[in-house]
Amino acid sequence: MKDWKRVTRERTKELRKSITAGIIGFCVGALIILAYGYNPITAYQALLSGAFGDLYGFSESVANATPLILTALTFAVGFRGGMFNIGAEGQLYLGALAAVSITLLRLPPALSFVFSIFAGALAGIIWSMPVVVLKATRGVHEVISTIMLNWVAHFLSFYLISRVLVDPQRAEKTISIARGARFALLVPGTSLSYGIFLSFAAAALIWLFVWRTVIGFDLRAMGYNQDAARYAGIEKWRVLLSVFVMGGITAGLGGAVHVMGRPPTYAVYSGMPAIQNLGFDGLAVAMIGRNHPAGIIFAAIFFGGLLAGGRMMQLFAQVPLEMVRVLEGVVVLFLAIPELSRIFSIFKKKKTQTP
Amino acid sequence: MNLAYLFIGIFTGSLHAMVPITLTATGETIGESAGLFNIGLEGIILFSAMTGALGAEAWGAFMGLVTGLATGFAMGLIFGLINTYFKGVQLITGVGINLAAIGMVSFWLIHLGIPGHHAVPKESQLVNIPTAIGNISPMILVTIALPVIVWILLFRTKLGLKIRSVGENPQAADVAGINVHLLRLFSTAAGASLAGLAGAYISVAWMGSVTKGISAGRGFIALATVVFSGLNPLLVLLGGFIFGFFDNLAVWISTMPAVQKVVPWQLISMAPYIVTLLIVAGVIGRVRFPAAMGTPYMRE
Amino acid sequence: MSDNTMRDDSRVILRGEGICKGFPGVWEHLILDHINIDVRVGEIHTLLGENGAGKTVIANCLSGFYSLTEGQIYVKGQPVHLKSPKDGLKHRIGMVHQELALVKPFTVAQNIAIGLSGYDFSFPLREVENRVRELSKRFNLRIDPTARIEDLSAGEQQRAEIIKVLYHDPEILILDEPTSLISVDAQHLFEVLHNMAKIGYGILFITHKIEEALEMGDRVTVLRLGKLMGTRKSSETDKDELVRLMFGEHEPAQLKRKAVHSQRVVFEVKDLEAAGMDEAPALCGVSFSIREGEIFGIAGVSGNGQSELAEVVTGLRHTSGGRVLIEGKDFTNSSPQKIIKAGIAHIPEKRREVGVIEAMTVAENVVLKDVRTSPFSKRSFLNIPYITNHTEEIIARSGAIVSDLWKTPTRILSGGNIQRLILGRETWHKPRFIVAAYPTQGLDAKAIENTWELFMELRETGTSFLLISEDLDEIMALSDRIAVMSQGNIVKVLDGVHAKREEIGMLIATGH
Repeated sequence: MKDWKRVTRERTKELRKSITAGIIGFCVGALIILAYGYNPITAYQALLSGAFGDLYGFSESVANATPLILTALTFAVGFRGGMFNIGAEGQLYLGALAAVSITLLRLPPALSFVFSIFAGALAGIIWSMPVVVLKATRGVHEVISTIMLNWVAHFLSFYLISRVLVDPQRAEKTISIARGARFALLVPGTSLSYGIFLSFAAAALIWLFVWRTVIGFDLRAMGYNQDAARYAGIEKWRVLLSVFVMGGITAGLGGAVHVMGRPPTYAVYSGMPAIQNLGFDGLAVAMIGRNHPAGIIFAAIFFGGLLAGGRMMQLFAQVPLEMVRVLEGVVVLFLAIPELSRIFSIFKKKKTQTP
Repeated sequence: MNLAYLFIGIFTGSLHAMVPITLTATGETIGESAGLFNIGLEGIILFSAMTGALGAEAWGAFMGLVTGLATGFAMGLIFGLINTYFKGVQLITGVGINLAAIGMVSFWLIHLGIPGHHAVPKESQLVNIPTAIGNISPMILVTIALPVIVWILLFRTKLGLKIRSVGENPQAADVAGINVHLLRLFSTAAGASLAGLAGAYISVAWMGSVTKGISAGRGFIALATVVFSGLNPLLVLLGGFIFGFFDNLAVWISTMPAVQKVVPWQLISMAPYIVTLLIVAGVIGRVRFPAAMGTPYMRE
Repeated sequence: MSDNTMRDDSRVILRGEGICKGFPGVWEHLILDHINIDVRVGEIHTLLGENGAGKTVIANCLSGFYSLTEGQIYVKGQPVHLKSPKDGLKHRIGMVHQELALVKPFTVAQNIAIGLSGYDFSFPLREVENRVRELSKRFNLRIDPTARIEDLSAGEQQRAEIIKVLYHDPEILILDEPTSLISVDAQHLFEVLHNMAKIGYGILFITHKIEEALEMGDRVTVLRLGKLMGTRKSSETDKDELVRLMFGEHEPAQLKRKAVHSQRVVFEVKDLEAAGMDEAPALCGVSFSIREGEIFGIAGVSGNGQSELAEVVTGLRHTSGGRVLIEGKDFTNSSPQKIIKAGIAHIPEKRREVGVIEAMTVAENVVLKDVRTSPFSKRSFLNIPYITNHTEEIIARSGAIVSDLWKTPTRILSGGNIQRLILGRETWHKPRFIVAAYPTQGLDAKAIENTWELFMELRETGTSFLLISEDLDEIMALSDRIAVMSQGNIVKVLDGVHAKREEIGMLIATGH
């Protein structure tokens, strides 16, 4: 009898952690909202109903989740392998631009579609390679290299958007993805495209890869315990390579899928307002989803919902939608504490001990 | 155009650009010497830019800087608490701070009126000192003095020895009677307060405005500067100047259409980050970090 | 356990009475079981015992590093309660640890400075350096206060640690295995300590070396498995009595076996050299060979190079000189993967930290090494049904008790069960060579018996063993040949059938 209790505790441990952090986050957010003179209850009501209250809201939430699932996978795979890969941001920009650039080739639409997807993935891989090389040869920690490369990609993208891929008719955006080469809309009138299935597929494939293949096994082992992994014959460079190749693919795809499924323009605007932050949001999603593909899907939809509902919150409760970002940050902050769910049991224990 | 004029202009511009990077990096040197790696510096700079601006508007430029300093200290305390007593993962805590800061600043900007941008009125800005080579912000002088002061602290006082011992061998420090968690907490908070000062400088004394992108990766460049300096504050001054030079160059070139035709500003903007990466890659083998940096301390 | 030295009660400066120490969850029995010990003014009192006897623990208790579970400490006749090492120093008890608590990149003076109270913004280095020079001269412990610890030799580092303790002006000095490092100048240290005793210090000197104990100490106290075996005046006892006190009397027989019939050498090391922690030499030219179906046991106190030997041989540590030959092929400095593929099994010393990945499930740990080969994986995909089946067999055979295969992390299993899993995993494919480091540590008597049976069975089928153990019973029961290792060298190789316990004990305790 005690056994299944323990197993359930073990399995739900990760879930409880996210829920605890989420609750704390919402409480802190409520305090801030209150401090500014708004009503947290109306705010949260608007937030949640805007996110999941009707078909339109729900579709927007899932649409927002589409690229987030992919960038979250990038971070999650890295985390599982014991590395801190925060390069999704830059890889995503270049993935989106690579997908757009296929349009220049004027291929038949179906071919263009396929090539755009591959181009996105490839761009992601290419942008990850410097990280691998620097780490393997010079021992540069991936945190620094991915951050620097993110910024380089940032400016490189600006350059490409305004000089190379610019739309001759409208200088504030790139050329659009050709008509037949886009992801069709799943729910008309919303932003939700069939691209979401690509995200789901990617999540499933990553699950398969990490939990059902030998390299995935090695990756997880290395992430848990480097010494034991070495003892077991696992080689570090293989894990390093697979982490960043997988991560590059998903991040690049994130950019491609986003731009190929984003009505009305299916292009990237200068200043990249729509794709900024998708990489870092993906990190938050990965943490909330406990770095597991299933959790990531739910966390992405939840977070996408917050972003979608944010507009409602702004409209009805006058709370600026940037509050969602604040919630995001606070939740991640608390998820950094390893034994978060234990902290509350410590408080409970202390209470019962004082006679 | 007078070439001397040109060079002087670039030089003073670099000095100004050097300030936030050097201040932040100097502070981080203290924190990293104690063993904590604060990736949340970017968020601290951003958030302090905001609070510093508001402080300046309320109480004058000098108080604005102090507000920024205090903000940095408070955020450093949060980071420190989570990563010492609560044994948190430093990298993730830092990311959380960055995300929350972006959110709070954007939120605040809307609340203040113009979404995305807030200009600090001229009266609230720090007055520059006119000198022979142009107007110099007094903060530049502070920025040159601080690394020296911190160097003295770390390498010529007993406190500095204690801080470094906690980063190198927390067990030995514990045995010697030092309170490891407390010292790490204060070191990182003190370091973060300099990042806060840097943020306030950007809004109150340099750019005169607050946007959500105003930190522009400088927090991360500061981290790289610390690597480059091998935790020696005097080298931080040098590194800060180098990175400040490139930072300023990018901005400067974007104002010169003649140069723009040849080299687009976006490519120059990339330069600080590429340079950072190359320097880190080149230097990293030869640089020695405190042995216990990055891991939470647990007494057996 | 009569102690015939207590009659002379004069000027006892430190006394521990009825000291017990238990660590929660580690053992059912006490680490220290009612220890009575005292140190007198002007005396060097040596504390002698094998590894695991509890010597370091009692020292830590007496200096304030550990708290007592039971018992009382008296300083100069007054009962005291020591809450921390600082407390100990307040009562003028100073301890020099075996593992030096020094900050490597700092100088000697800086290391001392961080422990001083006083104004934090001061920089007392000049004072500290002068006082260090003074102490250095007074006690004849030559050390340069401005030298960085990492630039000093092991012996000099130790001198620095001693001066660090002396700086606080203790009256009682406890030294934990000060001569266990290879390059330490023991003779010089002895002189220094003798001079200190003459001045009036009370010194407690911990060691596992018998000759040292007799030479150094005015009195010798022997500990064994946490129990006090006796205290003697060194003038009134000899090596043989001490060996008997340390190792016990009974003589376990070597397990019955057929003699090793094959002369084929399957494993050989030649002149192995390797560095251990902190770049100090750990292996200084080790050579031996092992035949097919032979169990080669390495006896000795751990810390003499055994761990490093096991690591070098299995590809986990770099060797700077010498060769490792498996079936005649050179595997020196090969990767662990190649060595695993060559059929070498390794039961590691640190079972929880290296032998398994505690966060992974039981099934995953059982196939930790095999997962890469067919049929455990087919075309890179894990063959879950096969793995499950295999794991169930291993569990049944090894007698490990687990709750489930795929759901809970291995962390929750007891140390004994984890070891059973590791044994099952490493032996199922009847490897031709097994490196077994402390294989039955922490197991109960039945499990130890089963393990020995398993090893003997494998031996019959031709498996060779490199067995490293601190349990002399185990070494004597299993080994065809016994090698005693001391200070990175093989001191002597004895025949397993004829070796006498006392002889081995003497070799271990004297190092030659």
